[in-house]
Amino acid sequence: MKILRLENVCKSYGETRALDMVNLETTAGEFMVVMGPSGCGKTTLLLVILGALQPDEGHVIIDGEAVDDLPMESRGMGYVPQDFGLFPHMNVRQNISFGLEVKNTPREVIDQTVKRMLSLVQLSQHSERRPSELSGGEKQRVALARALATNPSLLLLDEPLSSIDEATKTHVRESLKKILKEAGATTICVLHNPEDAFALGDRIAVMNKGRIIQVGTPQELLEEPRDSIVKKLIATMYV
Amino acid sequence: MKDKISLLFAVGALAFAGFMLASGFYIYLIACTSWKEVAPQFLSGRVLGALFISVSSSFIVGILALVAGVPFAYFLAYGDFRFKSTLETLMVDLPQTFPPVTVGLVYLILLGSRSPVNIAFTFTAVVIAKFYVSSPFMVGFAARRFREVKARGLDLIARSLGADTRQLLFRIIIPLSRRDLLAGFSLTWARAMGELGATMVFAGIIPWRTEVIPTLVYSVSQTEPNTAIAAAVVAETLSIAALISLRRGVREKR
Ligand SMILES: Nc1ncnc2c1ncn2[C@@H]1O[C@H](COP(=O)(O)OP(=O)(O)O)[C@@H](O)[C@H]1O
Ligand SMILES: [Mg+2]
Repeated sequence: MKILRLENVCKSYGETRALDMVNLETTAGEFMVVMGPSGCGKTTLLLVILGALQPDEGHVIIDGEAVDDLPMESRGMGYVPQDFGLFPHMNVRQNISFGLEVKNTPREVIDQTVKRMLSLVQLSQHSERRPSELSGGEKQRVALARALATNPSLLLLDEPLSSIDEATKTHVRESLKKILKEAGATTICVLHNPEDAFALGDRIAVMNKGRIIQVGTPQELLEEPRDSIVKKLIATMYV
Repeated sequence: MKDKISLLFAVGALAFAGFMLASGFYIYLIACTSWKEVAPQFLSGRVLGALFISVSSSFIVGILALVAGVPFAYFLAYGDFRFKSTLETLMVDLPQTFPPVTVGLVYLILLGSRSPVNIAFTFTAVVIAKFYVSSPFMVGFAARRFREVKARGLDLIARSLGADTRQLLFRIIIPLSRRDLLAGFSLTWARAMGELGATMVFAGIIPWRTEVIPTLVYSVSQTEPNTAIAAAVVAETLSIAALISLRRGVREKR
């Protein structure tokens, strides 16, 4: 379990300032939710942490060490994008084992890990299916298992509940929480729905226009919302 | 039809379709009506020779386009440099509209008898002459598909899972682009089969050495029309076959 720290991170796309002096620190094994309106910079934040984007200023620090010069493939972070990004030409088992195979892990270890991951996400019976034959919730669990299989230092989830229909949402949310607690990985999870954020997050970081406005436990946010944006977000939960 | 404009449009569309169909398929009708004279020509040495040179040189062009065009397409999709779209226009769009005969002339001057490497009027010249106008199909198909894969973020995920460039290419990008690479190969091959201008100028028309189907049709169209018709039927049929196999490949489920 690692600790992530962001120090004065700025990132612009041309004129658009997507991240504006972002500072954030997790504790080990924490489930940190990043919440905010669409276009406020949440995905950009994840991509900067992942190493897919270089920050214009500031640093990404893992366990006290800046990883700015570390390429994506050496950062060992698990990333689950909004559409899950499963490899369409591989079945569930091959998707999960990909990260282990590219690192030349011994075959027995791969088989063992894949088996463990499949049972963790309860997909053992679908291991030979292609992504196109899975439901939204199943795809999400495969993507999660694929990211967790490499034992990532940090798990980055981008709107993991956005393509899950309302009927199964609560169930998927609970299983997500359970899986991540069992895996024990430090997680940064982007959500735009306050209800999901409050149900899942150990702490919640509220963003707006590239800035982090408030970080706190769900309780703290409810009791002392620091800004009208935070108040508005909370209010939408009870309508 | 009530209004004038739809009537005019219908006439225009019909004229277009009629013209295209006649241009494309009338050769078969001609071949059928004079079948007795044309049939023996299919097996004449000249037609077979041109067919062999055409098919083999076009196949080599396809392979070369695959080997060199795919890396170029990779840089078009994944590279981050200035003037990328200008470069793409120059390498992909321009060669398809450029008059091939001028390229042939350039090769003749650059690689002909006046240069230390004189390869004019050889089989190698046939391959080089065809490459410029044909290979852009390969690059175009590959680059488009590579961009799709990139847009889905699959490269980010593969990288974050620890894949290096080789693994990203051979386990993700190329397997996902198989059909597009095949389509690019088929079109490159078909275009190379039809190339006339550059081949004629740079490789000449030497039977059994540099004579390909298009140059054969050109050179005997007045003197031996039956041979020309047979050669034309062969060329057409092969390009139709290439198109059908391409459609099959693309339509299949990904
Ligand atoms: N590749 C890009 N090029 C230009 N602008 C971008 C790009 N990606 C995102 N943006 C802009 O940056 C801002 C933040 O985007 P993003 O991080 O995707 O927000 P969120 O995930 O919170 O919806 C938005 O205004 C968006 O339009
Ligand atoms: Mg987003």
